Formats: sequence, structure tokens, C-alpha cells
Amino acid sequence: MYPAPAVKIFIIGAGQVGSTIVEALHGEHNLTVIDLDPARLTPLAYRYDIATIEANGASRRALADAGVRDADLVIACTSRDEANLVAATFARIEAPRATTVIRTSNVEYIELWREGRLDVDFVVSSEIETAHAITRVIGVPAALQTDVFADGQVQMVEYEVTELSNPDVLGKPLRQCDLVPRDSRVVSKIRGETMTIPNGATVINAGDRLVVVGSPEAAQAWGELLSPGEGVVEDVVVFGGGQVGVAIARQLLEQCIGVRLIEPDRERARRIAEELPDARVYQATGLDPDFLERERIGQAQAAVFAMREDSKNHYAATLARVHGVTFTIAIVHDPIAREVYEHSGVDVTVNPRQVTAEEIVRFAHDPRTQQVAMVEGDRFEVLDLTTSPTSGYVGLRFRDMPIRGAVIGAIVRDGKAVFPHSDDVLQAGDRVIVFTESSRVADVERVL
Amino acid sequence: MGIDARGTVGLVGVLSRYLALSALVPIAVALYYDESIWPFVGAGLGLAAFGTVLRLWGGDISHVGAREGFLVVALVWLVAAVYAALPYLLSGDPQLAGPADALFEGMSGFTTTGATVLTDIEALPQSLLMWRQFTQWLGGMGIIVLALAVLPRLRVGGRQLLESELPGPEVDQLATRIREATTRFSALYLALTALEAGILGILGWTGIDPEMDTFNAIAHAFTTIPTGGFSPQNRSIEPFAPVTQWVILVFMIAGGVNFALLFQVFVRRRLRVVLRDEELRAYGFALLAAAAILTAEIWTKRPEIGEEAIRVGFFQAASILTTTGYATVDFALWPTLALVTLVGLMFVGASAGSTSGSVKVLRHVLMAKILGRELRQTVHPELVAPIRLNRVVVDERTLRAVMSFVLLYIGIFVAGTLVITIDAAYNGPTVTPFEAIGVVAATLGNVGPAVGFAGPFGSYAPFSDVSTVALTTLMWIGRIEVIPVVVLLTRSYWRS
Repeated sequence: MYPAPAVKIFIIGAGQVGSTIVEALHGEHNLTVIDLDPARLTPLAYRYDIATIEANGASRRALADAGVRDADLVIACTSRDEANLVAATFARIEAPRATTVIRTSNVEYIELWREGRLDVDFVVSSEIETAHAITRVIGVPAALQTDVFADGQVQMVEYEVTELSNPDVLGKPLRQCDLVPRDSRVVSKIRGETMTIPNGATVINAGDRLVVVGSPEAAQAWGELLSPGEGVVEDVVVFGGGQVGVAIARQLLEQCIGVRLIEPDRERARRIAEELPDARVYQATGLDPDFLERERIGQAQAAVFAMREDSKNHYAATLARVHGVTFTIAIVHDPIAREVYEHSGVDVTVNPRQVTAEEIVRFAHDPRTQQVAMVEGDRFEVLDLTTSPTSGYVGLRFRDMPIRGAVIGAIVRDGKAVFPHSDDVLQAGDRVIVFTESSRVADVERVL
Repeated sequence: MGIDARGTVGLVGVLSRYLALSALVPIAVALYYDESIWPFVGAGLGLAAFGTVLRLWGGDISHVGAREGFLVVALVWLVAAVYAALPYLLSGDPQLAGPADALFEGMSGFTTTGATVLTDIEALPQSLLMWRQFTQWLGGMGIIVLALAVLPRLRVGGRQLLESELPGPEVDQLATRIREATTRFSALYLALTALEAGILGILGWTGIDPEMDTFNAIAHAFTTIPTGGFSPQNRSIEPFAPVTQWVILVFMIAGGVNFALLFQVFVRRRLRVVLRDEELRAYGFALLAAAAILTAEIWTKRPEIGEEAIRVGFFQAASILTTTGYATVDFALWPTLALVTLVGLMFVGASAGSTSGSVKVLRHVLMAKILGRELRQTVHPELVAPIRLNRVVVDERTLRAVMSFVLLYIGIFVAGTLVITIDAAYNGPTVTPFEAIGVVAATLGNVGPAVGFAGPFGSYAPFSDVSTVALTTLMWIGRIEVIPVVVLLTRSYWRS
């Protein structure tokens, strides 16, 4: 058995990002949460087995008193960039060996960090991570969620099965479906609250959600199968030219996807137009039906709502749907708003704080684990980890492996992705892409 | 008092005294050819004395800034034209005996226009011929300083786009800027002139072109890079061999390139950056398109065919586009399409940082972009579309300045045409509407030769003194880019 290394983690800031990190990590690691506001600490302290300290994380003495010198990992994730930077700097003085991660939206900090001139180990930006999450979804239009591993060789996608899906895959056991793409594996079937790990006998029905791991082509083929006719995206409308909206537009343009951006503020619209020469920028609210008609917004293949207020995003998304936009993605700031969005037909919601937390959580995992994605909120995780030579699973054929709430979707062997069949054998040093429930992450890391 | 008048006068005095030194060149020529030196001695001493008086009467020049710049620019070109005219008057040559005619010839020299009131150019003494050429060379140097250092500071007509051509911190002192630009660009200007003179000289000495001699080599080198167009020959470039014409053509095209880009090519050796310049590309395109039309027209409708048709087409297209005004044939005799093309080219001009006149390619490029955006915004009213030049956003103020320039240019062109036609109606000579349009476009655009009797081998002599003065004024206004003159007519310029 491989012992999961217990890591001492300091989390500075108990807001949405901090709480999400606590939620994801509390089972496996020793967590200490520091925040100035007792109202935010108390609920965390009641729910989880963690230490909470009411103090200013940007004070060197407070950090020292809290015992930061024993920390292995310090995460500064308050909503204030400067406080995060100061906290990480002080933590570096107190605990030189600890890994430091800061959350920031300040472009200047990110650039300095890339140049190696900021004394923190990792910088995570809500805007950039949110934009990543959204561009990944837009790249595969039918997906509820998607992520890539192993330099893009392996893609994980969550699809919704509907009545429109290809009848060949509906209502019969998977092994009888002829059209199922090779180089892919259905790692999970989710229906409501229940999750089953599929095998050849599993039957897919409308209303199920499938998590597929496969090559990017296979993932695309699954999209065609489950949501026919969505094709490739060339025209995306982004509502809201704030930092998030601009980051989204920039990443879409980098993928050669055409972007139209709508920003109500005159000066801001002008600045964006100067910054992004390839985007078409409109100075408009996006809430004016005449404008939506005149600019044929309804013909866009996707619309992203990245305005500051949830209610505005909600209204604009609904209006856009009325005008014929079929695929809508909305930023949600308040976690409660997510339900409202989804109820009113927004296809995908992205919570910047959650995305940021996910990114930060990656640093807390076993060092063998390279990348983590969360599915269905934080119910499931997809891990990318390297098998240890002492693992009991090494040398087993896939058909002989016991199934305990985790599935290996793909292997990266000698830098190449392999999508295993039942006769393949797991080897020591293979990188595996594993789908599992969040509560089992530590177990999976231990046995592999 | 709104502006620093004493400082302005002082600066004009300083510049006049420097300019007076230029009389030494024609004096040397006169001594060599054993001709009278007194017209030049008189002009030089006169300007030196005038400059000294202004300098003494004027005040401290260190506070002369952008606001006074308009007046300085306007006055300097006026003073220079008068100075250039003095030797013509003092020489007593019958063709230039009238003060209006002499001033016209002087202004045509210093504005590098190339229009002439002479009917028999070759009748002039060598020293006076070389003086004509030399005034264009001096004017060209002045225009480079004007275009790259002074006008960008005054932010007129979209000139602020060339603001970055001078390095270092933004100096508000006009005197300092003039000195900086002169030291930066004069060596290259001199080198290009010497290179052309050398090549033309070699063509002459080796006997490849029997018509070319040392005098002609220097004389034409003096008026090619400044896109001037004066020639000591009655029939311009026509007598010279085809190879000479090709050489002059190349230097004429170079003279139409933004001088800051030439500086990049020859001094910094950054050819690739330069070739991506949008204005340069548009200039090249305009040249090729015009040359193609003219060549096709000549090949089919005129006796010239083959290499000759191409050479004639290219030479005339480049000559008018760069506002030089040389000619290898009497294009005044050409068919309508070719003539209209030439007059159209008079409104184009070459690059903004060159010695050429007229509207200039840069402004045409920006106007096209403005109109394109206007059309797109008609369909998409909410579209925000910044205009870029060489990938850099051009601010809206600059674009407005470009539009105002073009409108003013058109307005003055119309007004000038009216003045010429009214005067011609009462004082003669008989001008056709096309001739009236041609002479106004050719003087306002600093091209030189027009159509009809004022064609390349013709003369502006038939015009009355009123028209001559009006055309002289147009050359002056066109040269200093309209706005510095117009702004002087506004009340707010003189008020604080």
C-alpha cells in the first residue's frame, strides 16, 4: 500500500473560493483556514474537521502565530489581490519550503509571475480559468463540461442524452451499439443523483448524462451522436466586456473562433476594440430587442453572458434564447443563481470562484497527480496520475480489475494516449486518467 | 497678446541668416562660368541684413512653441520665396523682370513645385539656372524638417501620426526641433543627392548619354530627391537617353518615400519593417496602377510602343504622383483618359514624410478607412471600430484633422479655380475649364506643369499678374499644408 502523504495546508480567505477548496480537500489533508470574518469561518468549522483562525492573513505576526512555518502549502485566496500577494510573501519568509499559491485578477501580477519576478510558486487567475472553462465548452458545443489531459491527447466530456440523440445508442445495451466511437470509454452514467459505472450491458436513455473519456476526435464523434447537428463553432457572442468577458473573447480568438462582444460603456467598448482587433465590438446593452434583431444575434452558434450581475446575465440569456440563440453559457457569481439559470434553459453555467478553487486544488493533490477536473459540481473528479511500481493493480488485465467507484478512462504510455480494452494490462509508470467520486480521491491515489 | 510675436520674428531672423549663406553656391557657379555674381551677392547680403534686423528687433527665441509655429512656417516660406526671387530681379533678365513673375519662380523653387513662367529656359545664364535648381534642393531639405519635425508638433491635418519619427523626449521648443531634424536627416538627403549626381555624371562622362554633362548631372540631382521638377533644359528630361530617364525615375520614386522610412532602410538597415508600411504599399500600388493606365493608353493611341511606352508611362506617372513635374514627352498633347489620369494624380501625392506635395497617400489611406467604417456603421450602428494604421490605433482627433485637411484642400482648390477663371475672363488668357482645373491642381499640389499651354514644355507666362500672384499663393498654401495659413486667418489664433 502506498501511503497518501498528509499535507499541511494553510488557506487564507474563507470566501467562496476558500470554502470550495476546503470542501474538496478536507478529507485528505490537514487544513487551517484564516479569515478576518468569523461569520465565514464558523459554518466551515461546524461542517468540516479543520482548524479555523480569526486573524488577518496579510499580517506577518498573525501568520507566525497561526503556525504557518509548518505548512507545506499556503493558498492565499481572498478576493483582494494585494492581500493575497502580501500573505504569500510573508508565508515565504516564515516557511521558506512551503509551496505558495495566490489568487489574483491583476494582469500585472500574472505577467510578473510569468517573468519569474514574483516570489510565489503559482498564480491562479479567476478570469483566465473562467475563460478556459468556457472556451473548452464552446469547442465541443454539445458538452455540458469538458477538460483535456496529456497535452490535449485525451479529452473528458460530459454529455446530456436527449430524444434527439442518434437512435442507435438509445435504449439498448452499449455493447450492441455499432456507432460507438473507438478510442473512447464511457466512464460514468449519471441519472439524477445516482451514478453507475457502465459496462457492456448498460443501457443509455434520454435524460442520462454520460461522461466520456477519449481522443479528441472520439469525443467530437460522441457529440455528433448524442447532439446531432451542433457542428463546429465559428460565431460566438460575448455579452459584457469586463475582465472575464475580455479574457473569454481573447481565448476564443486564439482558437480562431469569431467573436462579437457587446459592452454598454462607451470608453470601455472602445478600449476593448483597440485591444482585440479581430473581435467585432458593439457599444450596446444587449438587452435591446431591436439591436439583437438588427445584428442577427440569434444566428450566433453560442452566446456567453459575462456581465457583472447574475440577474442581468439571466435576463439577457433568456432574451437571447427568445431571439433564437440555441446555445447559452452564463457566468454565475452567486452559487444559488445556478439553479435559476439552469431552470430557465441556460445550457451551461460557470462559476468563476468554483473554477478558481478547482485550479488551486490541483496543487494540493499527490505530486504524482498532474491534473484534476471536477464533474457535476464537486461530486466527481477526473485525475491524471502516474501509477506507482508497488501498486497492486500493475500487471492486471483491465477486465480483471475490481470496480470500486473508479474507472480508468485512458492511459498515457511513453507520451502517447492509449484507450484500453479489456485485455490490455496496466504497467508501472503508466499515466492514467481516472474518473472517481470526490470522496474516493485519496483511496485512488493510495491504491495506484 | 496671444502669441509670442517678438520670439517669432527672432526665430524667422535666425533662420533667414542661415538661409543667406546659401547664396555662396550660385556665387561659386557664377565665378566658374565667369558670369555676374552681383545678383547673388545682393540677395545674400539683403537676406542677411533682413535677418539681422529681425533678430535684433525680435526677442528670445527659446519660448517659441507650437502656437507660434504656424506663423514661423508661413513666414519662412514667404521670406525664402522673396529671397529666391531677388537674383532673378537683380539679374535684369527680361523673362523675369516683372516682380510677380520673379516671385512666382522663387516660390515655385522653394516649394519644390517646378512650375515656371520662363518660355526659353536655356536663355538664362548658367548661374541663374543653377540657382533655380538649388532653391528646390534647399526647399526640399526644409520640407523634410517641416514634414517630420515641425508639422507633427503643430498637429495639423493628421500630421501627428508622424510625431514619432523624431526620437527623444517631446521638445516643445521649435528652434530645437528644427535643429534636431536637420542634423538627423540632412546627411542622408545630401548622400542621396550626391549618389544621383554621381550616377548621372558617370552616364555623361562615359558617353552613354551624350546629352548629360556635369552641369546637368548636378542640376537634376538638385531637383529629383526634393521632387522639385525644375530642369535647365527647355524640354525637361526628353533630350536624355532612356537609361538616364530610368535612373531619374528611380530617384524620383525614392523622393516620394517617407524620409523617415528611407532613414530606416539606409541608416538602420531595417528593410523588412519598412516594406510592411501601409502607406508605402499604397504609394506603390497607386504608382503601378497609374503607370499601367498610362502605358496602355500610350501604347494603343500614341506612336511609342514597347520599352518606350512603358518608360513614358512610368516616368510621367511617377513624376506627377510624386509631384516632381519632370516630363520625357509633352503630355499636354495626350488623349483625354491619360490627361484625366494625370490631373487625378495631382490630388494624390506621395508619402506624407516625403518632399512631395498635394494631399499625400497617408491621408487617402485614412480617408478610405474612415469611409469604410462609416459604411459599416450604417449597417451596424452600434459597432465600435477603431481605425488602425500599421496595426496601431489612430485616435479620433487625428482622423478629424485628416478630414478637415482634405475638405480645406478641396475648398481652396475650388476657390483658386474660381479666381483663375474670373481673372482669365477679364485679363486673359483664354483658358479651358480643364486647363483652369489643371493649373490650380498643379500649383496647390506643388506639381508644377499642368495641361494645355502650362504643360511640361510650356509656361505659366501667359497668365496676368493677378493670376500669377494667386497661383504663387496656392503654391505657398499647398506647401505648408493649408492649415498653418488658414489658422492665421482665424481670430482665436491672435487672441489669448
